Amino acid sequence: MNPDSIVRVKNLTKFFTRGSEKIEVLEHLTLEVNRGEFLALMGPSGSGKTTLLNLIAGLDSPSDGVIEVGDKTISGMSETELAAWRTRHVGFIFQFYHLLHVLTAYENVELPLLLLPLTAKERKKQVLTALDLVGLSDRLHHRPGQLSGGQQQRVGIARAVVSDPDLVVADEPTGDLDSKSAEEILELLVVLKKTLNKTIIMVTHDPRAAARAERILHLEKGKLVHDIPAASYSYEPEPLGGLHG
Amino acid sequence: MGSWEKSFLQFLDSPVRLGLAVLSAILLLFFIIRLGSIYFFLRLIFLNLTRNLVRTGLTAVASFMLVFVVTLVWTILWFLNLVTSEKSKDFKAIVSERWQIPSQMPFAYQGALSEGAPAMEGDFKVDSSRDAMTWQFYGATIDPTKRTRESILFFFCMEPLKFTKMMDGMDEFTPKQVEQINHWCEEMVKDKRKVILGKDRLQAINKRVGERLKLTSFNYKDIDLEIEIIGEFPESRYNQSGIMNRDYLNDAVDAYNRKKPLKHPLTAKSLNLVWLRLPETPIFQQVEKQISESPSFTAPAVKIETAASGVATFLDAYRDLLWGLRWILAPFILATMALIIAVAISISVRERRKEIAVMKVIGFLPRQILFLVLGEAILVGALSGTASSLGTYFLINDYFGGIKFPIAFFPVFLIPGDALWWGTAIGVGTGLAGSLFPSLGACRIRVSEVFSRIS
Amino acid sequence: MDLVTTLAIYFAAVIAGFILLAFLGKVPLKYSLRNLIVRWPISLMTGLAFTLVIGLLMVMLAFVNGMYRLTGSSGYPDNVLVLSDGATDEVFSHLGFRDVSEIEFHPSVQRDEKGKPLASWETYVIVNQPIPSHARKDGRKRRFIQVRGILDPERSGQVHRLKLKSGQWFTTGEGGGGVREVTLHEPGKEPRTIGAGEVVMGLGIARELGPDYRKESLEPGDVFSLGDRYWVVAGLLDSHDSTFNSEIWAKWKTVAERFGKETFSTVVLKTVSPEEAQRAAKDLVQNYKKAAVQAVVETEYYDSLNNTNQQFLIAIGFVAAIVAIGGIFGIMNTMFAAISQRVNDIGVLRILGFAPWQILISFFLEALLLAFIGGVAGCLAGSFADGFTASSIMSSGTGGGKSIMLRLTVDLKMMLGGLLFSLAMGALGGFLPAIAAMRVKPLESLR
Repeated sequence: MNPDSIVRVKNLTKFFTRGSEKIEVLEHLTLEVNRGEFLALMGPSGSGKTTLLNLIAGLDSPSDGVIEVGDKTISGMSETELAAWRTRHVGFIFQFYHLLHVLTAYENVELPLLLLPLTAKERKKQVLTALDLVGLSDRLHHRPGQLSGGQQQRVGIARAVVSDPDLVVADEPTGDLDSKSAEEILELLVVLKKTLNKTIIMVTHDPRAAARAERILHLEKGKLVHDIPAASYSYEPEPLGGLHG
Repeated sequence: MGSWEKSFLQFLDSPVRLGLAVLSAILLLFFIIRLGSIYFFLRLIFLNLTRNLVRTGLTAVASFMLVFVVTLVWTILWFLNLVTSEKSKDFKAIVSERWQIPSQMPFAYQGALSEGAPAMEGDFKVDSSRDAMTWQFYGATIDPTKRTRESILFFFCMEPLKFTKMMDGMDEFTPKQVEQINHWCEEMVKDKRKVILGKDRLQAINKRVGERLKLTSFNYKDIDLEIEIIGEFPESRYNQSGIMNRDYLNDAVDAYNRKKPLKHPLTAKSLNLVWLRLPETPIFQQVEKQISESPSFTAPAVKIETAASGVATFLDAYRDLLWGLRWILAPFILATMALIIAVAISISVRERRKEIAVMKVIGFLPRQILFLVLGEAILVGALSGTASSLGTYFLINDYFGGIKFPIAFFPVFLIPGDALWWGTAIGVGTGLAGSLFPSLGACRIRVSEVFSRIS
Repeated sequence: MDLVTTLAIYFAAVIAGFILLAFLGKVPLKYSLRNLIVRWPISLMTGLAFTLVIGLLMVMLAFVNGMYRLTGSSGYPDNVLVLSDGATDEVFSHLGFRDVSEIEFHPSVQRDEKGKPLASWETYVIVNQPIPSHARKDGRKRRFIQVRGILDPERSGQVHRLKLKSGQWFTTGEGGGGVREVTLHEPGKEPRTIGAGEVVMGLGIARELGPDYRKESLEPGDVFSLGDRYWVVAGLLDSHDSTFNSEIWAKWKTVAERFGKETFSTVVLKTVSPEEAQRAAKDLVQNYKKAAVQAVVETEYYDSLNNTNQQFLIAIGFVAAIVAIGGIFGIMNTMFAAISQRVNDIGVLRILGFAPWQILISFFLEALLLAFIGGVAGCLAGSFADGFTASSIMSSGTGGGKSIMLRLTVDLKMMLGGLLFSLAMGALGGFLPAIAAMRVKPLESLR
């Protein structure tokens, strides 16, 4: 076992049942992610990459197998335990940003901190730091509706890192952005990794996005088919219909 | 004029109700003109309503309950309005003491008053065997040690045979019941100790038909009578009343006066009211003149007034209360109902913005969308309103025996047949009022705006 | 503990509970508040429904409150009211002159400095009076006027602790007294001088009769007709909030002769203390044998007239409960819609680590917030009813009754009660939707 690993997935299986039919989404998957690593998950639609991300982030429970994140085995946790764990250890970035529309940028970023035992002063310091990091110090009191897509995603990123989690998961973070904004967001993720040493797991189907990662895992039909450094990743044409992961 | 027409005209009497009726008629007319698309529209409306059954259900139940209260309130107002509106033909008049309440006249007045006090040739003479009745009030307790609602009885002492001829509210009985009451009244003439009591009163004193009771009077002190209950009034305004043969009381007063050295204090005060039935207003005025000019009625002086006016005077103490029922309670509830419908319709329009935009793209006209939304609200309102008034009618009349909210001397109010379509009218009206703004909003939805927001 | 304190404690508990829930729930209250603002048309209509329901409740309660205040302030605990036995109402009570003169010398009765007992001898009649056509409202042609024949007006004023607001008491005396010469100006007739009976009257009835003479209210010196004779206002009673507000007091002899009631209906005795009054009432009932009388402490007499109020309260409770269903279902619709619109938000909050019960609290508090705002507006709207006068009737439910003029009264306990009622509607209407919000599955909601 690699002592540097933060995420350890062993023999992970996930299936859903629809009526009497059993749909295998992930089959006996094993992998490790190192601390401070920027990992991209790729694969066609239905390959199980988002399911894998959700499982690692503690949003879902596996049908079989073990998931360890940091020094915790999260695969056996109850929903309540998972919720508490997520708050402290995982930051989320979504394709459609998912900001609360009635709250300002500042308030959206503050949201996860409300669940932690922090004073208002400490919260303020952390929120301002996070927003400064994403370059939105001048947009503190704007509502999501008053921000561009790229800016909204940066608020999303600030919210993901504000509680200083070990792990940041991103599901198609650039999927809803124009290429210029997408580039900025990816740049920001790289900065997060480099300066804050965050572990980032990103689901994407955009090869350019994947290229910014250090390592790419390619899934197909619930199985790991490639595990390669990003530098040696060859662009393959997307299979038909694989617009969404 | 048939009773339906009459109640229709009464219904339209209020400008608000008239307005509502006209509006719904216009709406109906519109739908009829567009008969070709009516099925399609109704189907769309129906589908939209069934889309969120929880919301439609909540709105309908809320409307149902509110219409229930309004129906109760309007019933009371309707009835009081009915008994206080002056009629010009075939109405009743009350002769009573001129200045004092309670009216107390010598019984000797009754002979002349029952005929309308004709004095000269050409004066109008009331047929007292058919069109006159006297009332004397006798109150008593069945338990001399106390006087509570469980022990008191209150009698109208009159000529028993006049009951079905002269009393109001005979329409609340079936012909068979009237026949039965007539039969009891004949028995009361034969045996003057026999009395009829209302259902609720009997229940309150816990006695049954056939029982004999000894009464201790509280207004005719020391004139204590023994009675036998011969019958029980069916569910009606007579639920709390009792009827006694007036001869029984008068004979007892005479007997008292023969035995005791001093006359009974109420001897010259035992006649309370004389009722006359008069054919038309000019005759009322004639009789009024005859009575006021007669030298026979000076100590005390008497007056004659129409029954409607007499009742109105008694209701005077309740005037602000009734005003509040009419102009605060009912409107507040109607407004609440319109708001509840407005909330539901606004929500559903808001959720369907995109869909409505698509309909516009397909070619629906704004006014068609307007009517679609209005139609939803009106349908919910009308259905729940109708169901409510129907339910109220049967529940209150058949199960509870009327609204037991005593006002003046009306102990109970029965929901009138008119109420059956008050609910529909309220539902249509509040539905319309509630959906006006949301539906205008719906037909103003701009296609471009919606799609840009969605994408 | 009185009602205000109880309600205040409940209210404080609810507010404390609200703050505690907001604290535990962690989802900021401003999130709920701003969502209410963003969807303002629907929030406004829902809130307005609450405002209407609470406003209506306030007006109805203000009416009954006014009646209770009237009965509460009409009698004194150290007064004993004596009627003839069997009389359900003053109208039906007949006390002989001899009886009254004996009763007033009961040892418990307080004496004035000249040694005369403080007893008020009264004959109460109700007079049926035609309303002149120009002053008629709602088609009523007659009204009932309560007239009290008083033997000694100043003494009666002392017993009932009534003062004159203006003018003077009517004069009394053997033969003369109680009559004043006035010049009568009738339209179309020569002015003539007549003898008018002197009266004092309550402010309420003075205002009621004013329009008959094209005035807002009758004033001392004004002449009016009642029961076939003319009367002149000698003074106005400072009678706010008592049943005397709608009464006319005149010289006993005149009333007895004019209206044909030569007996006394009532004698009211002032004793030195409430305890003494209790004793006197008991003693009169048990030991006074010359005539059967019923004697009750005055406050108890007025309490017995509260039967009508209780009937009204029941009716109000009934109406409020049903109308509340409207409010509850209205807010349910609103909250269900709010949730279906915000499943996305709920999903995000859940992913960020908020627990299901925290989501429940957030939506529950949102419903309460809306109810509270609507309720406050309703209380304010309802408080406009305060001070209006209205006529009503009160009775003990066994026959008879008194016409009264009351002042609608809104007070703190009603406000607190109204707010609690509003919050209860909000809680009932908000709970089910909040449960639904709690059950939103985070992953599915974001798909």
